[in-house]
Amino acid sequence: MQASHAVSVLLDDDLLAFNRAIGVVRRRNLPVQGITVGPSGQAGVLRLAFFMQADDANAMRLLRQLEKAHGVHSVTVTPVSSPSLTHPSEAVL
Amino acid sequence: MSEVLTGAQILCRELVAAGVDVIFGYPGGAIMPFYHALPEYPGLRHVLVRHEQAAAHAADGYARASGRVGVCVATSGPGATNLVTGLATAHMDSSPVLAITGQVGRPMIGRDAFQETDVIGLTLPITKYNHLVQDISELAAIVREAVAIARDGRPGPVLIDVPKDVQNQKAAYTPPEGKAAAPAPVPPLAQGVDEAARLIAEAERPLLMIGHGVILSGAYAEVRALAEKTGIPVITTLLGISAFPESHPLHLGMPGMHGEVHVNRAIQHADLIVGIGLRFDDRVTGNLAAFAPRAKIVHVELDRAEVGKNVPVAVGIVGDARQITQRLVEAVRPRTCEAWVAEIRGFVRPRAEAFSGDLSPEAILASIYEATGGSCTIVTDVGQHQMWVAKHYPYQRPNTHITSGGLGTMGFAVPAAMGVHLARPGELVWAISGDGGFQMNMAEIATMVQEGLSVKMAIFNNGYLGMVRQWQQFFHEKRYSCTPIWSPDYVKLAEAYGIAGWRVENRGQLDDVVRRANATPGPALVEFVIAQEANVYPMIPPGGSLSEPIEAQPAATPAR
Ligand SMILES: Cc1ncc(C[n+]2csc(CCOP(=O)(O)OP(=O)(O)O)c2C)c(N)n1
Repeated sequence: MQASHAVSVLLDDDLLAFNRAIGVVRRRNLPVQGITVGPSGQAGVLRLAFFMQADDANAMRLLRQLEKAHGVHSVTVTPVSSPSLTHPSEAVL
Repeated sequence: MSEVLTGAQILCRELVAAGVDVIFGYPGGAIMPFYHALPEYPGLRHVLVRHEQAAAHAADGYARASGRVGVCVATSGPGATNLVTGLATAHMDSSPVLAITGQVGRPMIGRDAFQETDVIGLTLPITKYNHLVQDISELAAIVREAVAIARDGRPGPVLIDVPKDVQNQKAAYTPPEGKAAAPAPVPPLAQGVDEAARLIAEAERPLLMIGHGVILSGAYAEVRALAEKTGIPVITTLLGISAFPESHPLHLGMPGMHGEVHVNRAIQHADLIVGIGLRFDDRVTGNLAAFAPRAKIVHVELDRAEVGKNVPVAVGIVGDARQITQRLVEAVRPRTCEAWVAEIRGFVRPRAEAFSGDLSPEAILASIYEATGGSCTIVTDVGQHQMWVAKHYPYQRPNTHITSGGLGTMGFAVPAAMGVHLARPGELVWAISGDGGFQMNMAEIATMVQEGLSVKMAIFNNGYLGMVRQWQQFFHEKRYSCTPIWSPDYVKLAEAYGIAGWRVENRGQLDDVVRRANATPGPALVEFVIAQEANVYPMIPPGGSLSEPIEAQPAATPAR
């Protein structure tokens, strides 16, 4: 997979919110890699991060749908030239 | 002042506080404490359906007709799974439905207990919000939150899963203060109104395309004012039908797969499309690459995720359709589009009579319209009859056309019409189905009888799963594989349920029977025997461009 975008999602530290966000990603059926989940540094807020392969329009669609999911606080989608550069979990939000 | 109540009682109290007056449901083990409490709350009328799918559709119909949250209740396991189709239907069509399901007791969860299903997992992608209540202490707040989420913003279904032991738990309860929670703040009016007004002033061939969002926000007067101030002709999507009077000189009709030729041609020639409260669904656009090739698109939509999702937009305006359309009305300069309207008139084809027999769908619909003085609500099922109604019924009153658009759920009409009846008790409601879809949920006649729900049911009986047969005719070498469908004697069926029933086989019987059905108190059923190979014309082949319709051939000879 040639990653094109790094996605970072801040969401409620709660299984349902996590499930909802992952469900949105899964439903779009885009190739995804390097999924990590971890603390965000903010109490009660989790960071979900991954790389994906998508054109800019699809990346924007995913961003908007993720923003809608109940329990999601914010989403950033950054184009990447090489997946090895920065893992999105380390990206600054 | 607080008092000690069970979880089930709190649930009922919160429903009353939220303004709920009708619940569609079906009891079972895991929801029994709720049903035990229910008789203490006479303000909550319970309608016992014959299948939980019908409860969800009825709640959906109630919500669409009333603009309020519709409520359905089911037990765990099979009761909850039976709701799924109805919730998916409501989700696709942005309908505010609250589903309450019983769940096995907390100590049993995750142990494959009797009638345990992960209903939260099942409904995650088809609800706006769902939640398994962990403790009675959070129950009231969750009900309030769920109702608010269902109703506010772009509406949609929500589900609360309540373990049986939480329903039996006791806790101090303080009723919410005042009325139901305030609606969420209206999103700020976005940029773009002036830019849209400029595009409207410059356009030579502008169109207004209006969808369900206009009905959900009640933007009827604003849309009409915009059309009349600018002279821009109006297209109504399937779920936008009845948002603009069909008799209005600027009304063009429905676009898309079964849209009229002149409507789709207008789209292909337009240089500006102002879309309000719609999502440019693929049944509307056909092949996206070929959709409206000359048009700039202005998209007014409450849900930001819809703007630019399917079609690229020149101007996206995120916000409430009514408020933004009002702003547009103020911002546009008066103009006319006479040359353009005349050009579109030149695209109009004489209506292709899809029928060879004398009992045409057009005649049936005209008869219903005449007999009701245009004052009834029509709920349609899915298939050919749905398209005939969408194309031929002359809707004049707002929000009187209710159908399953996004999911295209057969079996929707009959139960949804029960909900519509309860939302509009003094008005006539016709549920129009095919012989296929009617047989999916016809058990609900019993619900109507038991609950005294007055729904008039029309069955367009062509002996086929008609729309699928039509596709087989066009695209599968006329191999009518598994689409002929047998029906019972519907008049005898009506008799068995103790309701009035008629069979109409020719035009001569039509008006009299429709009038009698309307005049008969309570539910009534009319079977219309129509030609087997009648088709819906024109048709854009799936994935085809709006410029390439299949048009009517000489009417097929009925096989019977
Ligand atoms: C629940 C469900 N199953 C299958 C379909 C696929 N489908 C779409 S239209 C149609 C035929 C409908 O036949 P009928 O109810 O007789 O109506 P007609 O098209 O003849 O008016 C079918 C099977 C569907 N939309 N919904």
